[in-house]
Amino acid sequence: MVWVYDGSMEGFLTLVARSYLTKTVPEKISKYPSKISLFDDLMQIQTEDELVTKLLGTMQQRLDPLFYRRIFHAFLCDDCEVEYKLLFYIRLGLKDPSLLYDISHPIIHAIGSCEKMVLSTLHRMNAFLRFEILQDGTLYAKMEPPRNVLPLMGKHFCKRFSNERFIIHDLKRGLALVYDGRSMQIYPVVEYDIPRHMEDERHYQQLWRCFFHQIAIESRINPSLQKSHAPLKYRLWMTEFMQLV
Amino acid sequence: MQIEEKLSILSGSAKYDVSCSSSDSQRSESFGSLGSTYKSGICHAFSADGRCISLLKILFTNQCIYDCAYCINRSSNDIKRAAFTPKEIAELTVNFYKRNYIEGLFLSSGIISSEAHTMHLLLKTLKLLRHEYGFNGYIHVKLIPGAPEELIVAVSKLADRVSSNIELPSEKSLVLLAPEKSRTKVFEPLEIAKNHSMEQGKTPIGMSTQMIIGATPESDFEILRLSSALYKKALLKRVYYSAYIPVNNHINLPALLTPPPLLREHRLYQADWLMRFYHFRYDEILDTQNAFLDERFDSKLAWALRNLHFFPIEINRADKETLLRVPGLGIRSVHKILYVRRQKRLSLRDLENMKIPLKRARYFITVDGVIAAREMRGYERLESRLLALEKPLPHFQPTLFDQLQSISGEI
Repeated sequence: MVWVYDGSMEGFLTLVARSYLTKTVPEKISKYPSKISLFDDLMQIQTEDELVTKLLGTMQQRLDPLFYRRIFHAFLCDDCEVEYKLLFYIRLGLKDPSLLYDISHPIIHAIGSCEKMVLSTLHRMNAFLRFEILQDGTLYAKMEPPRNVLPLMGKHFCKRFSNERFIIHDLKRGLALVYDGRSMQIYPVVEYDIPRHMEDERHYQQLWRCFFHQIAIESRINPSLQKSHAPLKYRLWMTEFMQLV
Repeated sequence: MQIEEKLSILSGSAKYDVSCSSSDSQRSESFGSLGSTYKSGICHAFSADGRCISLLKILFTNQCIYDCAYCINRSSNDIKRAAFTPKEIAELTVNFYKRNYIEGLFLSSGIISSEAHTMHLLLKTLKLLRHEYGFNGYIHVKLIPGAPEELIVAVSKLADRVSSNIELPSEKSLVLLAPEKSRTKVFEPLEIAKNHSMEQGKTPIGMSTQMIIGATPESDFEILRLSSALYKKALLKRVYYSAYIPVNNHINLPALLTPPPLLREHRLYQADWLMRFYHFRYDEILDTQNAFLDERFDSKLAWALRNLHFFPIEINRADKETLLRVPGLGIRSVHKILYVRRQKRLSLRDLENMKIPLKRARYFITVDGVIAAREMRGYERLESRLLALEKPLPHFQPTLFDQLQSISGEI
């Protein structure tokens, strides 16, 4: 039986609660809509807030906060296998919370690695995000991160730019994090206009490129080292690597 | 002069300073609403040489009354000179910061007219940034040796880190190549900054220094001994090593075409890490007979090969300090081992599942009394086996082609 859910954390938690209620586990977990074979036996999971709240309460009560957080982080890794492992992980943890300390267990280790991947992507994105300043002073950044780290990015930038307004736009997932100087919110983006920049935006981008090229020491040029620190997939929206039109 | 030309000249002159970390700021007070510091530091970009760019690293000016032989900005060099105004630096910093290009500012300077005057200009820049622009990001300032105490104290109050470069590992070399500097003079501002922040009952401000490697004949042993002394006195957070890149022709210096000793620099950093995080003493890593680090192996592996009587180590029993001495086990791996050991006895399979790198470690450990690799017999065979594991390090050796390019200037 393939269980299909809407891709959200709430949806997934409903799925976990359902597996307790029906005393079964799915053979496969899939996001809706997705590649489902015609012959697969499907079960649609509708998000039920009541079940989610109840499950969250139990998890928070039973699990070490470290593992509780790990579940949310690992979920963001956008890997098609992660839901199944997480289901196992949550069930294991609720059965006996101390089992989760054994990181030599393949699934527990895998969930740990998923979290690590998400957190390292988060750190890189916090570093490599590039804002442009718009006409009204709003900071605007585009990105296409390999993991869904947008929900985790708000904390860092709200602290850093607490008096500014900013928008972080995840083009890959069609999401935008908007901070208006007081609170932040994540919205789905269906379509958007090309934003108008502040007058000297070009000038500062040019100055940054100039600095970026000057600071390298010719006799130490080492593209492979540079590539391992700043992988190509992150460079798409980085000012210093963007080709001038 | 246009701002772009100034930036080009004054960042080009600052690039030989290695330090670019933005980590570990322990400043408690906040200066304004723009910006924050981050415990582990953030590298915002990586330049073509693979080095991290965390801070806007610039000189206030590259005019200098000193004539240090190894320095590109020495007064007798015929290069283009420029100077920023405090306002230009503040604008650049804030505008780069808002675009998330940088963590903050690294401000150094040549000596313009006098030490006091130069320090005063740097202080003015910091005041403008902190008080007028409300900039609360990271600031690292080079203290100017010979500047008056009150200026040094005032600057330290506004910065997250201050530093003063020792440049050469021995007094003798300093006399030879930088006649205007001396060891005492270099450390004086650091002492002042430290004593002042201690008086305030605060954690002492982070400080660092830098040594040029390969310009003068000092051995690695002498270099590590000096670093160790500097760490021990709790004077410094970091010592940076900078492979000497010939920028001037001088009778007492390597010729202009000598490639920078990058591999030696790399090994020195590894040894430095062993002293700071792995509880090694400098005289365990090297001694007067072995005064230079083995360039074939990393320093921990080289130590292990010289101290085979210390091994093998039982992974289920050894304490943290001992585990840290196993080649191939880093701090993370050791923590993982200790963590799981509280739950159960480890098998070799467990170590593999935990993704502990065993490539080198397996020659030095036993798991439940069983030797993880059979090759623990004689030094000779072990050494060649481990040597075969080492990846060649092509990028440490610039090719002839690169050199030709840098002479002709075509990049």
